Amino acid sequence: MPRYLAGRLAQVILVLLGVTIATFALLHLVPGNPARTLLGVHATPHEVAVLDREWGLARPLPVQYAGYLGRLLHGNLGTSIYYQVPVATLIAHALPVTLAMLGIGALFGIIAAVPLALLAATRPGRPADHAVRVLPLVGLGMPPFWVGFVLLLLFALTLRIFPAGGYGTTPAQHLASLILPGLTVAAVTTPILVRSLRLALVGALGSDFVTAATAKGLPRSRVLLRHGLRNALIPAVSVLAVNLGYLLGGTVVIENVFGLPGIGNLLLTGIFNRDFDIVQSVTLLYAVIVVLINLAADVGYATLDPRVVLGR
Amino acid sequence: MRNRVAAGLALASLASLAVAGCGGGAAGSAGSAGASSGAPVRGGNLVIDIATPQQDFDVNTTTDNESIWTYDQVAQTLYRNGPDGKSLLPGLATSYKLSGDKLQWTFQLRRSVRFSTGAAMTSKDVVFSLDQALNPKSIWNFIDAPIKSVTAAGPYAVVITTKTPWAPLRADLALFANAIVPDNFGGQTRSQFFSHPVGTGPFKIASWVRGQSLKLVRNPYYWQPGKPYLNSVTYNAVSDASTRVVQLKGGQAQIIEAAPFAQLAALKAAGYQLGLFPSTRIDYVTMNELDKPFRDPRVRLAISEALNTKAIMQAVFFGHGQAADSPLMPQVSYYSPVGLHTGDLAAARKELAGSSYPHGGFSVDFIAGSGDPVQTTVAQIVQAELKPLNIDVKIRQLDPSQVTAQEQSFHFGMRETYWTMDIVDPDEYVSFVLDGTAGAFANWTHFNDPVIDKLTREAEVTFSSATRQALYTQIQQRAAADAPIVWLGYSPYDYVYSSAVHGFHVYPEGNAHLEDVWLSR
Repeated sequence: MPRYLAGRLAQVILVLLGVTIATFALLHLVPGNPARTLLGVHATPHEVAVLDREWGLARPLPVQYAGYLGRLLHGNLGTSIYYQVPVATLIAHALPVTLAMLGIGALFGIIAAVPLALLAATRPGRPADHAVRVLPLVGLGMPPFWVGFVLLLLFALTLRIFPAGGYGTTPAQHLASLILPGLTVAAVTTPILVRSLRLALVGALGSDFVTAATAKGLPRSRVLLRHGLRNALIPAVSVLAVNLGYLLGGTVVIENVFGLPGIGNLLLTGIFNRDFDIVQSVTLLYAVIVVLINLAADVGYATLDPRVVLGR
Repeated sequence: MRNRVAAGLALASLASLAVAGCGGGAAGSAGSAGASSGAPVRGGNLVIDIATPQQDFDVNTTTDNESIWTYDQVAQTLYRNGPDGKSLLPGLATSYKLSGDKLQWTFQLRRSVRFSTGAAMTSKDVVFSLDQALNPKSIWNFIDAPIKSVTAAGPYAVVITTKTPWAPLRADLALFANAIVPDNFGGQTRSQFFSHPVGTGPFKIASWVRGQSLKLVRNPYYWQPGKPYLNSVTYNAVSDASTRVVQLKGGQAQIIEAAPFAQLAALKAAGYQLGLFPSTRIDYVTMNELDKPFRDPRVRLAISEALNTKAIMQAVFFGHGQAADSPLMPQVSYYSPVGLHTGDLAAARKELAGSSYPHGGFSVDFIAGSGDPVQTTVAQIVQAELKPLNIDVKIRQLDPSQVTAQEQSFHFGMRETYWTMDIVDPDEYVSFVLDGTAGAFANWTHFNDPVIDKLTREAEVTFSSATRQALYTQIQQRAAADAPIVWLGYSPYDYVYSSAVHGFHVYPEGNAHLEDVWLSR
C-alpha cells in the first residue's frame, strides 16, 4: 500500500505539472491583455505597455512560466492583478463554498440513489424497475442551469422554503443557501449513480454468494445490504468519483445560477478579466481535487472490498 | 467612462430572455411604482445586487463603474453633480471666488465636516487629496491636467491655480478621483488606504470580500444632520441577470441593477418599482478614417442616413432605447437637438452618388466583441442596411479586450461603442470623441476638424453660459453635418426595486445618493 501510494503520488505530480503547462500556454495563447482590461478605454498603448512591464507580462513566456512555477513551489499562488490581493486569500474565501456544495450534493445523490437502485434491482423487469431505469434519461436531459432555475422558482419563490440564491452571512444562512445548489448537483449525479448501482446490484444479487447467504436463512434485509449493496457499491464509488470530478466543471454554471461566491464564479470572472494568476491557480486546484478524488476512490475500493489489494 | 457594466447589462437582457417565461411567481411586495411617500424611517439594511463586483478603489487606476459608484458613498468631492446631470451643487466646498485673470479659484470649505474616523476635514486634507489625484500617471489625469497647483489659504480655504482660464474646473472637481481623503492617507500606504478607503461620505466600508460582497455601514460623523437613514448597505455581486431577478422576488435583495429589459414589464406588473433613470449613455458607431472611403464626408453621411437608428435602438434595448438627435446626450449641459438625418435610404443613395464612391463597391471590417449582444446585433443590422448601398460589411468577432486593442492600433473599419459621462461638463466627452488633436484621435477615428478643435478650446476658456451654449451648439451642428460617427441613441440605466425602498434616484452619471434612501417597515 505505501509503495502504491508513492507511485500514485508521483503520477499525480506529473499530471499537475502537465496541467500547469497547458493552462499557462492556453491563457497566453488566448488574445486579450489584463492591463488593457484593467485600464479601460482611456488608456493609451504606452500606459498599457508600462503596466505590462510592471506585472512582468513583457518578459518571454518561458521566463514567465519558470517564475510562476518557482513561486508555486514556494506555496505562492500569486496576486490577482484585478483585485490586487493574494490569490490564496480569494481562494480561501471561495473554496469552502464550492466544497460544501459538492459535499451536500454528493450526500443527496447517495441518499436518493441507494433506495432507488435497491427498489429497481430487487424487482427486475417490473414496473418499478422500468420507472427507475427511465430516470437517468430524464435526469441527463435536464441541464443543470435549468434544474437550478426550476428549483429556485419552486422552493424559493413559490414555497419560500429556501433563500433565492446568495450565500447569506451566518452559518445557518450558508447551509440554507446550499440546499438548492446541492439538490441541483444531486440532480446531475443521481441518474448516473442509480444506473450503475442498479446494474451492479442486479449482478451481485444474482451471484452465488447471495444465493448462499439466502440459503443460510439470513434475513432479506441483511442479504441485500450486507452482501448485495456492499459489493455493488464498488463500481458505484468510482462512478461517483468520476462524476464529482466532472461536476467540478459544472459548478461554474450552478454557482452562477445561485449567485454563490464559490471558485466556479471566481474562475469565470478571472477568465473575463484575464486575471492570469486566478485562472492558473483555480485550474490547478480543480486538477488537484479531481486527482485526489480519484485517488480516494481507488483507496476506497480496498476498504469496501477486501479482495482489492492495492499495489500488486 | 465606458466600461463593462453596461456590456454586462445588455448581455443580461439577452441571456434572460430564456428565463423570462418562467418569471411569474409571487411578488415580494406590492405598491405603486416610484412611491416615496411618508416621513423617512431611520434604520434598516439595504441589499443591492450588482452585476459585477467592485474591483479597486485606487482613484489613480480604477475605471470600473461599480467601484466608482461605491466610492461615492464613502468619499466626497468639493462640488457634486446635480440630479439633472447638468447642474453642480456645493459639496465639501460651500462657495468660490475667481480672480480677475480667471486663473485663481479660492474655495471656502464646509466647516465641521469629519471623516468617518472622527478626524476633522481641513484644507490640509484637500491639498493632499488633489495633489495625489494630479499624479501624471493617473488614468484620470486628462481631466485634472489644467490644474497647476493647489495650496491652502487657512484651515478652511484652498486656492487652485489653473494653467489657463478653465471654465469646467468645478465640474472637474466633482470627479470621484478628486474626492477628499485624509492627509497623507491617515498615515497608511497608498495600497493600504485604498483597500479600505476612508472619507467624509455618509457610509464607511465595514467589510469587503473581493469578488463577492461589500458592506457599508453608517458613518456616525456624517455632516448632513439625520442622514444617512440606513444602518447599512450591502452590495452582492450576482453576475446572472435572472438570478438577480429571483433574488429580488425572494427578498434577498431590495434593489437590483441591470435588470433584463425583456422582463421589466412583468416586474412592474408584479408590483416592483422600475427605475428607468435617464443616463448619459450614448451609443455610436465609429468609422476609421485611415480607411480611404471614410475620409470622404459624403460616404460617412450616406452611411449615417442609411442606418435606421430608431429601429436599432428599439431592437438593442427592447423598446427602451431612443434614437439620437444630436452628437451630445440630452442629460448633459449645452445639448441641443440639432437633428440627425438617419433611416432614409433614398437620401443615402443620393449622398453616396455624389461621393468619391458613387456606386459603393468597397468592403468594411466591422469589429465586434464576441458575446457582446449590443455590438454584434448592431454589426449585423449595419451589415444588412448597408447592402443596398453596395457596401460589403464583413463582421470580425473578437475577444472583448481585443476590440479596444485593435481599435487603438487602427486595425478596423467600423465598431460599435458607447460613452457615459463622469462629470457634468461636456468638455470630457467632446475632447475625447470629437477633438482630433487630443490623444484619442477623436475616439480613434482620425477625424480632425480644425474648426471643432478651435471651438472646443474656446469653450474650455469661456465662462459665460450663453457663449458656451452657442459654441457647443456649433460643435454639435458641425459634427452632425460631417458625420465622423453614426450616433445611434440614448438608453436609460435600469434598476428594479422593492416598494419598501424610498428616495432611490440614480443620477445621469450613474451614481446614487444612498444617504437619501430609506426603507419602510
